[in-house]
Amino acid sequence: MSDHVPPDVDFGRVWAEVAGEIWSPPTGAGERGLAWLLGSPAFARVIVTTPSLVVSWLLASVVVLGVGVVVTAQTGEPWIALLAPVLAGVGIAFAYGPGVDPAWELSRSMAISERTVLLSRVVAVFAVNALLGLLASFVVGDALTLTLHWLVPMAMLSALGLAAASASGSAPVGAAAVVLGWALIVLGGSVSLGGMAAVQDARLMPIYSALAVVLASVALALSNRKVTGW
Amino acid sequence: MVMNATLSVDARGLTQRLGRTTILNGVDLQISGGVFGLLGPNGAGKTTLLRTFATVLSPASGDLRLLGYDPRRGAERTAIRRRLGYLPQHLGYYPGFTVFEFVEYFALLKEMPSAEIRPAVARAIERVGLADRAKAKLKTLSGGMLRRVGIAQAIVNDPDLLLLDEPTAGLDPEQRVLFRALLREIGQTGTVIISTHLIEDVAAACNRVALLDGGRIVFRGTPDDLSSFAEGGVGDSALERGYTRVLTGARG
Amino acid sequence: MDDQDLIASIAGGDHIALRTLFERHAGWLAARLRAHLPAHAVEDVLQETFLAIWRGAGTYRASGQVGGWIWGIAARQAALWARKHSRPLPDLELHGTEDMATQSALRVDLQRAFARLDTDHGDLARMVLIEDRSTADAAQRMGIPEGTVKSRMHRIRRLLRAALEGGSS
Repeated sequence: MSDHVPPDVDFGRVWAEVAGEIWSPPTGAGERGLAWLLGSPAFARVIVTTPSLVVSWLLASVVVLGVGVVVTAQTGEPWIALLAPVLAGVGIAFAYGPGVDPAWELSRSMAISERTVLLSRVVAVFAVNALLGLLASFVVGDALTLTLHWLVPMAMLSALGLAAASASGSAPVGAAAVVLGWALIVLGGSVSLGGMAAVQDARLMPIYSALAVVLASVALALSNRKVTGW
Repeated sequence: MVMNATLSVDARGLTQRLGRTTILNGVDLQISGGVFGLLGPNGAGKTTLLRTFATVLSPASGDLRLLGYDPRRGAERTAIRRRLGYLPQHLGYYPGFTVFEFVEYFALLKEMPSAEIRPAVARAIERVGLADRAKAKLKTLSGGMLRRVGIAQAIVNDPDLLLLDEPTAGLDPEQRVLFRALLREIGQTGTVIISTHLIEDVAAACNRVALLDGGRIVFRGTPDDLSSFAEGGVGDSALERGYTRVLTGARG
Repeated sequence: MDDQDLIASIAGGDHIALRTLFERHAGWLAARLRAHLPAHAVEDVLQETFLAIWRGAGTYRASGQVGGWIWGIAARQAALWARKHSRPLPDLELHGTEDMATQSALRVDLQRAFARLDTDHGDLARMVLIEDRSTADAAQRMGIPEGTVKSRMHRIRRLLRAALEGGSS
């Protein structure tokens, strides 16, 4: 060969750029849209990788709410208001935390802290489930009366899921607390006040709100534990 | 107390407790560059010390500055974390992620500038010799390969302070040699602190070493200094004899 | 693997094959480009060239030499770079460099053809063709008559020609 390889060309840099492109998986349209919306590819990635927001989980939620829509349409009973809060609570128990993240120790040394990641995912899971519930309500046609009511127990069960999962360090325990807690409340409401009082009786809403605040504070206090972290 | 902001690590009277047990009992350590070895028996507090430097634990008492910043202050802690690399002793992994996705995820969490992330991830994967497995799912990798993935995420942001807890566990001798070369390379521009119970790692790669026992530093110096204590010690090498000699001396 | 196998592999998503192709060809590509472009531009053009190869490997038709196809892509990327940076189009001597590209592809084919010769023929081929010894010299070293050397060389040339024409496949 008559020419010599030029010494001032950084082949390492060239290959790193090429490899970076061909080794990375194509970013989905959803993640790209989210990154643009949030102004941060990091937060988009954090949300898209939430265990309870993967496609299979979302499909399962749609199926559950679909069943609720069918039952509500046939019986007239507010099954969506019953199911949506539980889905959110369970989803949040599985959003993040030591029981869910195998690389928990490493995550605690990151610039985007594990608490920030948790908060982002909790908000995302809540928003997605609220949206799904809203859509289900529109399908059934009973939108106006139900939209606001079930958001309050949804907030309470979300806080319960978060607190229980944080306290136990286990997502399944948090989810179980949500399902059992809600089952007790619904049964108790049905026995003492009749029917689907748990989701229909407006007097319960302030109680749910108070519980939501208390449980959220507990979750916050747990995350503030100085013994094992900052 | 006037702390030295030019040091990578400035620890004065560092104390760490778990419940009522004191794990670190007034550790004084100043580290300014190169490769620093942290030796000591199990239970000495090496992992706790490293976790404190990784800003995973806050000190119970004492003063600490990392890369000139105070980790007790939120904004400064974040600044430290951007320039940090950490490989815990037990690094979990996400089985469904590919090698590239895993390293990229933590590059994002370290708030690396977007445009730099993909080539930096590629470079880190090349440096640990996993280029051929870049698109392989983590669940298909061996233990030694997973360890190297862990090293890749630790070095992806070219950290000023690299903390490695028992990093050579699971690596075969050839990989260990390559790894020590990587350490020396990084130690030229930044600070590496490696916690290990393997004397050969220290002998081959470290400029300076500290011996931790029962939550206290019982020796500070170069590996040669430690070897000079070999007389009367037990072990196959001078360094090992020096190590056991100093430990017995500190406990006696 | 020869270049055509590599391209086929790359078309199937084999990123390791792209790396091998890069190691083989980036050097002479850079040398050729550097004569017309500054170093950082060469880096950018190389990057875009290999990304284009990654995406377009499926469109390669085994008609010409792989080197020529790669050079065509690189020349196109160089022109794009020049347009993007408002620089005059570099005069990339597409015909002259066909030799360069052909040479590198030819080298691989020759190596393979040589590898196919058995020991005796291989030793003789090396002595006469590479070490440039005369047939008399080779005959003396191997302890055989010069006439035998000449007829073996005739056979070697036939074998090599057949191997080269039989294809880079």
